[in-house]
Amino acid sequence: MPVRVVESNAPAQVSGTDPGNRSPLPPSSLLSAGQAFSGTQNVSNQQKEEAWRVNVQIQGVDLEHGYLCGTMEALNVPMADTPVITFWEGEIVDGKNYTFYTGKWEATREDDMRHWSKFPSFAPLQGQVETDGGRQLDLSNYPYIFMRWKEQYFVNVGTDCGLTIAGFYYVCFSCSDGSISGFYYDPNSSPFQKLELKTVNEGRTGFSFSSYELQ
Amino acid sequence: MPTTTSSSSSAASSSGNRQADVFSRLASSDPEVKLKALREVKNQIIGNRTKKQSFLKLGAVPAIASALSECDNSSILVQSAAALGSFACGFEAGVQAVIDAGAFPRLLRLLTSSDEKVVDAGARSLRMIFQSNQAPKYDFLQEKNMEFLFSLLNSENENVSGLGASIIAHACGTTVEQQLLCDAGVLEKLVILLDGSLSQREACLESLATVLKSNPEAVSRFVGLEAGRYLSSVTELTKDRYPRTRLLSCLCLVVIYNTSPSYFLNMGTKSSLVTTLLELLNDPGQSGNEAALGLSSLIAEKEDLQKLAYEANAIKNIVDILKTGSELHPKRLQGLFLSLAELCSKLEDCRCSFLSLEVLDLLVNALRHKNADVRTAACICFKNAARSVKNLSAGRFTTDHVMLPLVQLLHDPSSAVQVAVLGALSNIVLDFSSPKSTFIEYGGIKQLIELSKSMDPNARCSALRALRNLMFLADNKRKELFYSDVKAQGFASLISDPEPTVQEQALALLRNLVDGCINSIEFVFDEDGLILDSVARQLRKAPQAQMAIQGMYVLTNVASGTELHKEAVMQQLFPQPQAESNNFMLKFLQSHESQLRSATVWTVINLISPSSPGALDRHVKLRNEGIIPQLKNMVNDACLDVKIRIRTVLSQSMSFGDN
Repeated sequence: MPVRVVESNAPAQVSGTDPGNRSPLPPSSLLSAGQAFSGTQNVSNQQKEEAWRVNVQIQGVDLEHGYLCGTMEALNVPMADTPVITFWEGEIVDGKNYTFYTGKWEATREDDMRHWSKFPSFAPLQGQVETDGGRQLDLSNYPYIFMRWKEQYFVNVGTDCGLTIAGFYYVCFSCSDGSISGFYYDPNSSPFQKLELKTVNEGRTGFSFSSYELQ
Repeated sequence: MPTTTSSSSSAASSSGNRQADVFSRLASSDPEVKLKALREVKNQIIGNRTKKQSFLKLGAVPAIASALSECDNSSILVQSAAALGSFACGFEAGVQAVIDAGAFPRLLRLLTSSDEKVVDAGARSLRMIFQSNQAPKYDFLQEKNMEFLFSLLNSENENVSGLGASIIAHACGTTVEQQLLCDAGVLEKLVILLDGSLSQREACLESLATVLKSNPEAVSRFVGLEAGRYLSSVTELTKDRYPRTRLLSCLCLVVIYNTSPSYFLNMGTKSSLVTTLLELLNDPGQSGNEAALGLSSLIAEKEDLQKLAYEANAIKNIVDILKTGSELHPKRLQGLFLSLAELCSKLEDCRCSFLSLEVLDLLVNALRHKNADVRTAACICFKNAARSVKNLSAGRFTTDHVMLPLVQLLHDPSSAVQVAVLGALSNIVLDFSSPKSTFIEYGGIKQLIELSKSMDPNARCSALRALRNLMFLADNKRKELFYSDVKAQGFASLISDPEPTVQEQALALLRNLVDGCINSIEFVFDEDGLILDSVARQLRKAPQAQMAIQGMYVLTNVASGTELHKEAVMQQLFPQPQAESNNFMLKFLQSHESQLRSATVWTVINLISPSSPGALDRHVKLRNEGIIPQLKNMVNDACLDVKIRIRTVLSQSMSFGDN
């Protein structure tokens, strides 16, 4: 007998919940430490079409604090001899620790809305976010996780490599298939550089998971 | 220069002669001579550790103790008691000598004297003795002792009532004793001393902390006295002009807070407690030493207080004290490192701020400190600072300079240091797939394997956690290096350890070993699949959830490999003959622990992955064993992650024609 999977596209609303008391987002197994993703970042501008191959690895997730971090490796960067690896830290939009509004990194609320609204999965949330910044949204049962990733330092090259990490990424992660979409935002770079990543399985016919435990 | 040496030698000799002379006069039968000699000894040793030692060697303490028992001249009694008190003051060898000389019961007898001066001197002296851990245990369970204690507390003499409080602070160690004292009304007596003299107040604060520690009932009783008046008094004393009073009132509040946090809802009180303790850290004496431990105890496990302390610039203040260059008392060093450790335990901002102050040299020096408590505290500080993935990823801790002393501490004679350094190393070895590891170069893997066979389950658990972290995203070379030392038999023993926490870490380590490059799955098939057999055997034993999660992820990772790997997992899940079967997978899917359900569904996903030729047959088997029907019942699982994974399985099922 076919069973219909109950699916809710729009997240529930909570009334009168103090964001400080809100629970962190529940864990998603594909967004855990050790998971690797691969894809591209489109860096095209008016002069030419260009995309860099990108690998991402999640190194730490702390849902309680809405925090995650990892590395990003850009493979065919024209001015670099080797792949360029950066370490980034992420803010998870959970209504507890972080909201959709960035409030820093030169991003205005208009910039935020312009970027978030490029994700189709943001559409059901947009109205509420425009009304109250999304304070009433309960994202804990929503199958997409919104984040901001900010690169913090170059891992394998010096700061004189001619590249910049001044901007940050608006990111949307799909809990279902582990795909990641993102848009790079830096007022001084080409707008809406799109990041598209999929999970990597190292030649396996399935998913593999490692873990560590910090004492 | 020869002349200087000669002169100093003659000065020392002359001083020694004088002491011998005074000592000989202590035995004089002339009361005046004896009294003068007692005064001289007392005056010479006050605050002078060297002279205390010299007189101790001469045998002055037994001589004074006999003066105490052999006469009833009140002046001699007062001076003898005072001299003995001076020997005991802050000098453990002196306390021991006084007790060995049998002076303790004689001093107690002085308290019954009709001469107020004699009573006072006896009480003062006994208070010095009760400052030491060597003081005799006082048995509150004996009725006459309790009566005597209350007679002390009721005394109008401030040293006598203070002595009562000191006895409580020294001897009350168990909940039963706390309860007994509370039932006898000791709290009501003690709080009266809060309004007394400086010494009474301080003794009272110390004993209050002892009676209230970890005893919510006693705290509730104390707070209820006159509707919280005395809690307010103690809070008020944190602003006293005397640092020692400020410290003792803070420590008393720390005890109350740690026992019953609900009495501290006011952020202002918390904040002022943190600020006062931080100020006291700068006190160069004993108060500063104790303030450091008090601060670490206050902020332990409390993120809100850690944040308050961080905002009050605690990290910079502490690091500045550590960087002063002067030799700090081991107790202070221990407290400062533990406070830093607590500050770095939860908040990433604190860790980054701490590490930005270039403190690694300080920590490395502390790892070599002669005091084991300091070494332990430094290891805990390393461990908590290394909870920063950002700094781990940047390789901040993996230099030779840091790694060598840490690895050396694995052989420390103190077991507390060993456990602490294992904790630090298990975090630090996490170097996120950097192929080079200083830890491995120093032979760390062999040492951890050795410790994983320790008699102490905590050491086994910590060693395996460190190995697990070391194998996280490791390349095959590193895995081979580890495996060649442990082998299948060794690994199987680790998985079958009697302690569930050790089993969990062993399985988590195995999970990492079979992750990554597909070839690494082969480890579990060594020696006829001994390791995989052990995993399944443990899973059939209805294990604890945390262990089962790791075990199921081992199976998930193996099932992500080739057709042979998937079939081997099926064989373990549904062994032949059927009689041996124990459908643990079905039980795990019904677990309350969502992570266990999730791990189990992942195994199913991998087994029926559409890219593998045997997927359909395995699906049929899983359906016949009740797994697929169970998953159909779970489509509305409370956990989003599980719900999503089940959807993946069911969609795959439908592609196999299963409706």
